[in-house]
Amino acid sequence: MGLRCYFGGTAIQTLRMAVIPASSSSSRFIFGRPLSKTLTLNSLFLRRNNVNYLTRPPFTLLTKALAATAVQAAPPTETIDRGVVKPQWKAAIDFKWIRDNKDAVALNIKNRNSNANLELVLEIYEKMLAVQKEVERLRGERNAVANKMKGKLEPSERQKLIEEGKNLRDGLIMLEEDLLKLSDELQQEAQFIPNMTHPDVPIGEEDRSIVRKMVGCPREFSFPIKDHLQLGKELDLFDFDAAAEVSGSKFYYLKNEAVMLEIGLINWTLSEVMKRGFTPLITPELVRSSVVEKCGFQPRGDNTQVYSVEESDQCLIGTAEIPVGGIHMDSILVESMLPLKYVAFSHCFRTEAGAAGAATRGLYRVHQFSKVEMFILCQPEESESHHEELIKIEEELFSSLGLHYKTIDMASGDLGAPAYRKFDVEAWMPGLGRYGEISSASNCTDYQSRRLGIRYRPSEPTSTNPKMVKGKFTPTRFVHTLNATACAVPRMMICLLENYQQEDGSVIIPEPLRPFMGGLGLIAPKFSRAE
Amino acid sequence: MKGKLEPLERQKLVKEGKNLKDGLITLEEDLLKLSDELQQEAQCIPNMTHPDVPIGEEDCSTMRKMVGSPHEFSFPVKDHLQLGKELDLFEFDAAAEVSGSKFYYLKNEAVMLEMALVNWTLSEVMKRGFTPLTTPELVRSSVVEKCGFQPRGENTQVYTVEGSDQCLIGTAEIPVGGIHMDSILAESMLPLKYVAFSHCFRTEAGAAGTATRGLYRVHQFSKVEMFILCQPEESESYHEELIKIEEDLFSSLGLHYKTIDMASGDLGAPAYRKFDVEAWMPGLGRYGEISSASNCTDYQSRRLGIRYRPSESSTNPKKGKGKLAPTKFVHTLNATACAIPRMIICLLENYQQKDGSVVIPVPLRPFIGGLERIAPKFPQDE
Repeated sequence: MGLRCYFGGTAIQTLRMAVIPASSSSSRFIFGRPLSKTLTLNSLFLRRNNVNYLTRPPFTLLTKALAATAVQAAPPTETIDRGVVKPQWKAAIDFKWIRDNKDAVALNIKNRNSNANLELVLEIYEKMLAVQKEVERLRGERNAVANKMKGKLEPSERQKLIEEGKNLRDGLIMLEEDLLKLSDELQQEAQFIPNMTHPDVPIGEEDRSIVRKMVGCPREFSFPIKDHLQLGKELDLFDFDAAAEVSGSKFYYLKNEAVMLEIGLINWTLSEVMKRGFTPLITPELVRSSVVEKCGFQPRGDNTQVYSVEESDQCLIGTAEIPVGGIHMDSILVESMLPLKYVAFSHCFRTEAGAAGAATRGLYRVHQFSKVEMFILCQPEESESHHEELIKIEEELFSSLGLHYKTIDMASGDLGAPAYRKFDVEAWMPGLGRYGEISSASNCTDYQSRRLGIRYRPSEPTSTNPKMVKGKFTPTRFVHTLNATACAVPRMMICLLENYQQEDGSVIIPEPLRPFMGGLGLIAPKFSRAE
Repeated sequence: MKGKLEPLERQKLVKEGKNLKDGLITLEEDLLKLSDELQQEAQCIPNMTHPDVPIGEEDCSTMRKMVGSPHEFSFPVKDHLQLGKELDLFEFDAAAEVSGSKFYYLKNEAVMLEMALVNWTLSEVMKRGFTPLTTPELVRSSVVEKCGFQPRGENTQVYTVEGSDQCLIGTAEIPVGGIHMDSILAESMLPLKYVAFSHCFRTEAGAAGTATRGLYRVHQFSKVEMFILCQPEESESYHEELIKIEEDLFSSLGLHYKTIDMASGDLGAPAYRKFDVEAWMPGLGRYGEISSASNCTDYQSRRLGIRYRPSESSTNPKKGKGKLAPTKFVHTLNATACAIPRMIICLLENYQQKDGSVVIPVPLRPFIGGLERIAPKFPQDE
């Protein structure tokens, strides 16, 4: 079918292979900032006497020092004078909870290999509370002065009060500025704190991850097997060389049956997941960088995975998780709407900076690919069961395609900041001779929703105040979000080509895909084997 | 200076030689500069124009063909935005927050409709002998320029990636044109016919004030594009072939449309001749462009460096065997097989029913799981 195309010689890449980090662990790149252990801690600002507010409080100098250390991987900010940087958006972090649970949080930070500075966060928080208290006190005094001035007064008394009022006002202005700065610094530091971790997650590095499930076993071949690149060449399915000229390395054209296979995979996956009650979506692939950050990724960090558009605050998405997470940004959902289940198709773009030396051969690591992603927003109590639901759907999809794979409960050091728990699926790729990651399912609990501002209003009054009726005054809560790969097309293609290859060089199409490929059952060689 | 010379004569010659060398260096620098300037200026020269192309502005374009007539409705007609809202098919507001204006999410049956349109179109064009492709959507800016676009001009349509020479494509014409960049093809390979599916990204800068409502003008969309590389003598007949394929596709979907031979003032630099198809969009109350088919002759191939070697030595029959036949530039053509958002507008607006549902045209049904209509999910009076 179609015409054969003439292409130049092949470029064999013999790069060392290494394990590929999971998709959402690109957020681990936020940990690039230096530790600020050399910072001296000042005592909390204490009111010593009435005159304090007349002088610039000493802690503003400390503020400057604090700001100076938060350099590299900080969220993009506007820089105002005095070196204090202002975050473009605020995460609704529960500082009180962090303070009340600081040991658990500290242990978690350590288990996650995070660079977050909890001591600094708590210190700034305490300062901020103290300043807040002071501000309230001064406001109280100012109101008292204002009230006094309403009555009958001697001119000299009145003058004194006016001056006192003015001093209070000036003091307040300074304190309120400081409060603002502290609040910004607190945000900046606290945003580095990773999500808490599920108690069952193994602690440690990648080698501590646990296999939850193993399905099937490596297929036995009675003939020498080929990898997907060689199959692709012989069956005229890809072109990497022309793409390297047109776009650069790690780009590719799909041709002939590979196009049909991509489309078949996408359609079948969408169809299967829709049957399970998910709403299908096609999403924007250019999004504002703030949305990328709110999902827990770092568009401007070193070795960022994110492509940015010139002269714009827009970025290309690395996963549909981002635009889908953004749909309900800054919203209050009704409890009856939950759970919201989406299955989204998009192209994904990743710089793969920092992946040099890792397995980059062929389709395994590319800059652009198609992916079908599942996303759930739900009530907090339900996120664990939805996590199980998502991994079950993935396992059913991969089993239907006849793949041999294992599901892994990722260790704490491999989680990435947003995930409370993460299951990866690695499928057997005979041509590579090892398992390769084909999907990732994360429970992000309220990490993303606190940044994206996604709340819901429970319909029942909360147990803390049963007297509030009708739920109209029920305080809102943050939803939990989860995301899971239903189909990452290039990795899936590697699996199908390598596992279903036949001795005569053809590749069998798994049954479930055939109706979505016009009934095609086989990709047959077009040239004679002798070529 | 190779011969025997008096020292004085030799000295004179050495000096003369040095002067000549210096003079040459200066002249060669000038040559280089002139060559660069020549390139720069000459690249602005548009392609020649087919003799039958009407001369003048857009209003001088002539209609080649009209198929069908506007559907008569017995009820008030809604535009695609309203239909989309009522049938819960799009989300523009959330996209404006997440990405900016002119972005959108497709939902529910609209997702299925996009997939069906892409599948059906690819399938139909493949049947006609075209090789299917999916392409990179990030390409080097030089490739964009070689195809005749201007990535860094004012009001450029092209998104550029920060810190890189890469751009997002506005059409698959670009990466497909680039496949055979700097190559010499064998004559027997021609014609090469590709049908490529890609997402397309356009800044639409300078489009403020023009029709921007809903899906009509968006920053990102899916498109199936046809591309042909052929011998010069054959490009006109392939242009006819491409427009015929487009017309067959649109007629199969039951659209009412007209094919227009674009006037010289509306051609765009690479095109020798361009046929646009405008389809009737009842919700908009006018015709809207749904496709464009251009014959770029050798404009792109001269920039992309795509040549072929004729198998017969027609220029010098005495040389025989064709081994030394000088290469010639191919001709390239491109044509839209399906631009999804405009097609969705056409289908929704033309196939809407009184009860608020939308009928799916028969050819698409096998590609949409047999779905026959998109039915309202809420009662009509909401």
